[in-house]
Amino acid sequence: MKPISDRIIAPADTPDLELLRKFEPVVYYTKGEQVYPAAVEYYVRECSLREHHPDGSEELLVPQGQMSMEKLIEPRPAAFGTIRYLRFIEPLSLGEAAKVLADQAALRRQIGEYFRPGIGRLARGGFLPRLADGLFSLSFLLRGRVPAADMAAAELDYNAVREEHPEYIYYGRVTRQAGWTVLQYWFFYYSNPWRSGFHGVNDHESDWEMISLYLYEDDGQLIPEWAAYASHDFNGDDLRRRWDDKTEMTMENGHPVVFAGAGSHASYFRRGEYQDEVTLPQPDWLAAIIKGWNKLWTQTFGQEPVEAFHVPFVDYARADGLRIGPDGPNPWSPVLVDETIPWVSQYRGLWGLFARDPISGENAPAGPMYNRDGTPRGRWVDPLGFAGLDKVPPPPQAVHILEQDSQEISRRQRELKALILEKVDLLQSMGMELKGMEGNPHLAKQYAAQEKGITKLAAELRDLRKEQTENVALLEGFDRQLERLRSGLKDDPHAHVKHLDAPDNPGEKLRFDRAAETWAAVSLSLLLFVIAGLVFFASHYVWAGLALALIFFVVIESILRGAFVETVAWVTLVLAMVAALILFIHFWKWIILAALLVMGVSLMVQRLRELAG
Amino acid sequence: MPRRKKSDKKKSPIAVSVIAVTIVVLFLIRLYQVYEPLIRHNFFKNGIGGPLFNGWSLTPLGSDLLSSVSYLLLSLAGIFVLIGFLRLQSWSWVLLMSWTGISLVISLVDYFYSHANYAVMASNVIIAFSLNLPGVQRVFNIRRDDEAHI
Repeated sequence: MKPISDRIIAPADTPDLELLRKFEPVVYYTKGEQVYPAAVEYYVRECSLREHHPDGSEELLVPQGQMSMEKLIEPRPAAFGTIRYLRFIEPLSLGEAAKVLADQAALRRQIGEYFRPGIGRLARGGFLPRLADGLFSLSFLLRGRVPAADMAAAELDYNAVREEHPEYIYYGRVTRQAGWTVLQYWFFYYSNPWRSGFHGVNDHESDWEMISLYLYEDDGQLIPEWAAYASHDFNGDDLRRRWDDKTEMTMENGHPVVFAGAGSHASYFRRGEYQDEVTLPQPDWLAAIIKGWNKLWTQTFGQEPVEAFHVPFVDYARADGLRIGPDGPNPWSPVLVDETIPWVSQYRGLWGLFARDPISGENAPAGPMYNRDGTPRGRWVDPLGFAGLDKVPPPPQAVHILEQDSQEISRRQRELKALILEKVDLLQSMGMELKGMEGNPHLAKQYAAQEKGITKLAAELRDLRKEQTENVALLEGFDRQLERLRSGLKDDPHAHVKHLDAPDNPGEKLRFDRAAETWAAVSLSLLLFVIAGLVFFASHYVWAGLALALIFFVVIESILRGAFVETVAWVTLVLAMVAALILFIHFWKWIILAALLVMGVSLMVQRLRELAG
Repeated sequence: MPRRKKSDKKKSPIAVSVIAVTIVVLFLIRLYQVYEPLIRHNFFKNGIGGPLFNGWSLTPLGSDLLSSVSYLLLSLAGIFVLIGFLRLQSWSWVLLMSWTGISLVISLVDYFYSHANYAVMASNVIIAFSLNLPGVQRVFNIRRDDEAHI
């Protein structure tokens, strides 16, 4: 392997903490961010410890003011289905909530940093996703949710703690698997005020975020090769970027740069505003209907697939706020963790309020090592699989593995060559025997058996030849890959990525962006007013009125978004399908008759043409 | 053998002819809808033989006259669109699709709330499906070959 000179490397025997410091990231936040990575101890001390039992009852295990790290990990047997959780903010009365919100506003004024959303997620998403978003928002009336005042109180409490303990903490872990040295940087936040602070999808008490760096050893040196940044609950190849990927990886003095989403704290490789979607849970039958419809809609009618159950959201990773990292005024204070740290391995509960949200968005996360249900977390136990690296060998091993595979296939090719020759001889001999049996009625049985044997052998031979041909192509591919590896050439750094998460183009604007935003903000409410008006004034025409109003709203939306042609096409197509169905119901006999006549005439014309030569 | 000359002209798919014929059929239906109420009220013999308004609402004559005028406008719009369509203009595709959409809405509302006009409905269905064909969209520059959708 050629040495890689343009990146920071570390001797293989570097102590873990030093290794973590050498590659620790620089994290940029968005202006208006409210909480930053902090130590767990001060947080836990402010919490109460509770249990939610399967019968719906709640139990206070340790009241607020008496918590400690020791009490957090005390063994407490519990029934199946019990959820243990910390609660940072105790329930607030109406008066307390109002005071907290006023104090939060005062704190923001004092800090002087405000978040301005720009083109909001609703204007970016379109009318149908907005309908789904409306349903999603209304679902908070039924689902559990974290009150906005709790998030405000968490922000105030965090700021109070920060005054005494201003350091920024990451929990670093070093683990070695399958030839890779994995550096994990875990960040703990007091809250995730994404919904209440940044128009996001959810709020929850506490937040655990993480990035992983993957190093390989060559000539006694550890060389960084990949980085994977955790972003929401995504995992796999799409999360991973190669260290030398200049379009995706931003570096500052050899340290990888992370752009944190405002409120969500999701980690991104590039600065910007990320538009993404949360898929709402839907029953299997509905998913099957949507899938069938999309197949017809896209393959037969050539339209865009329908994604009505996707709620759009925007993650703002603008990097115009605080910078934490080496070579700056806000350095990291690292803490080394592994399975021997009791709070890491022995506390399987949630690190904040269990909001009883069935789809979990508002429930606090569990710690680095566990999922919300207490099972081991993939990104901790299988950091390679988390980033899709479990199938990728470290570069120095790649050549060796490829050479071994190549040798194995070459050996098999030699074997195949001999086998094919042998089978060809046998097949020809059997063919001659078969020929000899012809004209001898008393050998009918043997003839049939011989014929069967020949068919079987011919099939075997065909398979062997197929394998031989495929192996030739495989060997050629291996040779090309080996040549590239030996010369130090690398694949396209995005070759493994199926969906490259890219920020929106900052220069891109909607056609009438102000009008579109205003429309996005009011359209859903207007639709509800129209429905109310229809029910009250024209109850006989509710369904027709609703359909007309929906079409009208969709068309207005399309004009504002510059998508009038596409929208008119699909709206008309849907109407035509409904009309076609009605026509079929009323005239199905005539339609079938006409179709048969047309087919008959066309077939007759074809045949008569053929006859005429 | 002499080489066959290749025409530079854009070839229009057969669906374009189908659409054009359907527009003519629709035009004739609409024309009938223009004349039928006028004949019923002896408009051509007697002119406007009664009041059009009864207070704020229309009289039956007023209502029929209004629908005649609306259908006349629709028919004229159809002719205008047809000319653009036969000249393969992009705007005529958009206009025709919008026109068909509006016409389908009226047909469906009629179907559910008063009398259905199946001939108009069928014509609109044929036009809508034909306009959506990739070949038709390409010839009107609505869909390009490098696009998966319009």
